[in-house]
Amino acid sequence: MSLYLRQIGVIVWKDLLLELRTRERVAAMGAFAVLAGVLFNFSTDRSLVRPQDMAAGLIWMTIVFDGLLGVGRTFHLEAEDGALQGLLMSPAPKDAIFLGKALSNFVLLYAVALLVLAVFMLFFGLGIGSSPAAVLLSLGLGALGFVALGTLFAAVSSGTRMGETVLPILVFPLLVPMVIYGAGATGRLLAGRPVAEVAGNLRMLGAFALVALAAGAALFRFVVED
Amino acid sequence: MILATESPRPAAATAAVVDARGLVREYGAVVAVDGIDLTLAEGEFLTVFGPNGAGKTSLLKMLGGAMRPTRGTVAIGGVPLDFSNGEWRRSVGMLSHQGFLYQRLTAEENLRFYGRLFGLGDLEARIRARLERVGLADRARHAVHQLSHGMKQRLALARALLHDPQLVLLDEPYTGLDPAAASVLRQVLQELRSDRRTVVMVTHNLTEGLALATRVAIQVGGRLGWEGAREDVEPDGFERHYHEVVEGRA
Repeated sequence: MSLYLRQIGVIVWKDLLLELRTRERVAAMGAFAVLAGVLFNFSTDRSLVRPQDMAAGLIWMTIVFDGLLGVGRTFHLEAEDGALQGLLMSPAPKDAIFLGKALSNFVLLYAVALLVLAVFMLFFGLGIGSSPAAVLLSLGLGALGFVALGTLFAAVSSGTRMGETVLPILVFPLLVPMVIYGAGATGRLLAGRPVAEVAGNLRMLGAFALVALAAGAALFRFVVED
Repeated sequence: MILATESPRPAAATAAVVDARGLVREYGAVVAVDGIDLTLAEGEFLTVFGPNGAGKTSLLKMLGGAMRPTRGTVAIGGVPLDFSNGEWRRSVGMLSHQGFLYQRLTAEENLRFYGRLFGLGDLEARIRARLERVGLADRARHAVHQLSHGMKQRLALARALLHDPQLVLLDEPYTGLDPAAASVLRQVLQELRSDRRTVVMVTHNLTEGLALATRVAIQVGGRLGWEGAREDVEPDGFERHYHEVVEGRA
């Protein structure tokens, strides 16, 4: 394995180990997922709207808000004792640092996205549709695109006085395509429609994730260098 | 007499380990470093004194590539710093005010993390050796947040030297250390000097600063207000000389 991949791997290892020790982000994100499911359950009138017609949108919005909660704090891990400076002073390329941070965020967010899906299936009485793999793929591609943008802008906002307030304002406009294609794909799949019907959405989600990752990797060094 | 003799600065017999030209660092309207030229050869140990706000930390960060100069250049081992390629960072070890340590990782996990980022071979043996050298072998599996300030500082020193850098940059390394930790630091610095590493140390501690230096500088208002060889300095009169330089009377 090349040094570049090992550098990405060790950043992922470090982030996940720290998360395992502190459970700082995953606890907040998990609680948010469950509470959002409960609140949406009580705030919707099922005699007017069928659950499967609105569940996908609510699932994706919950993932977006939950993602901001967790990914927004990704650089808090580095804030203590100037650890980010130590990371930046290593020979690891800045794009490797970005990809390591994004991948560790992806693991976290994807696990939470699965929890969100399970919570909404439980509260809204949904089935997983005819292709569970495609549902999981749509959530995975969406989570990947989200963490790519979220990690980059978390780095931007971590250097500002109102970081966590600024982050949604920076990220939300850019997430519109992801939410459109993601909610569209997930909604149809949960309703039991064939995978072929959402292939275009999945391709767009994949393209969104790739472009976001490439842009994040290219731009990260301009954000973090002093 | 403060200066014993005004002997010429030691000539750089070997290629410069670090060569800074016209370094300027501005923070908005504030000029922290104002046109510093500095060349250090292998084995030189420069101690930089100066009052708070003199720009010492900014100078150190620019020498180590932790901060881009507003103007000017830095070359390490004859190669100008290229921020898009960090290979030259293998030559630099920095001990800052902050330890660059993850509080929830253990001492050895922190070193393992940095060692893997640097792609170091024989990492486990190297980690054991460094922890033993700074007297923390028995704390290897303690989380950093469980260590005292002095222990954290020693661990940060082990981290800074893990990859055997040729250029070592130390920012106030003696701050907050108990006598035992200060003794360990003194020994490690002595070894660095014996090993012909190039060291730049910023400190307010005149005694420790002069103890190992081969060159001494006083930075005031972003500039090197005075610079000389260590043998030019009479330790007893240096404090008075320092105040004269800082107050602009020298």
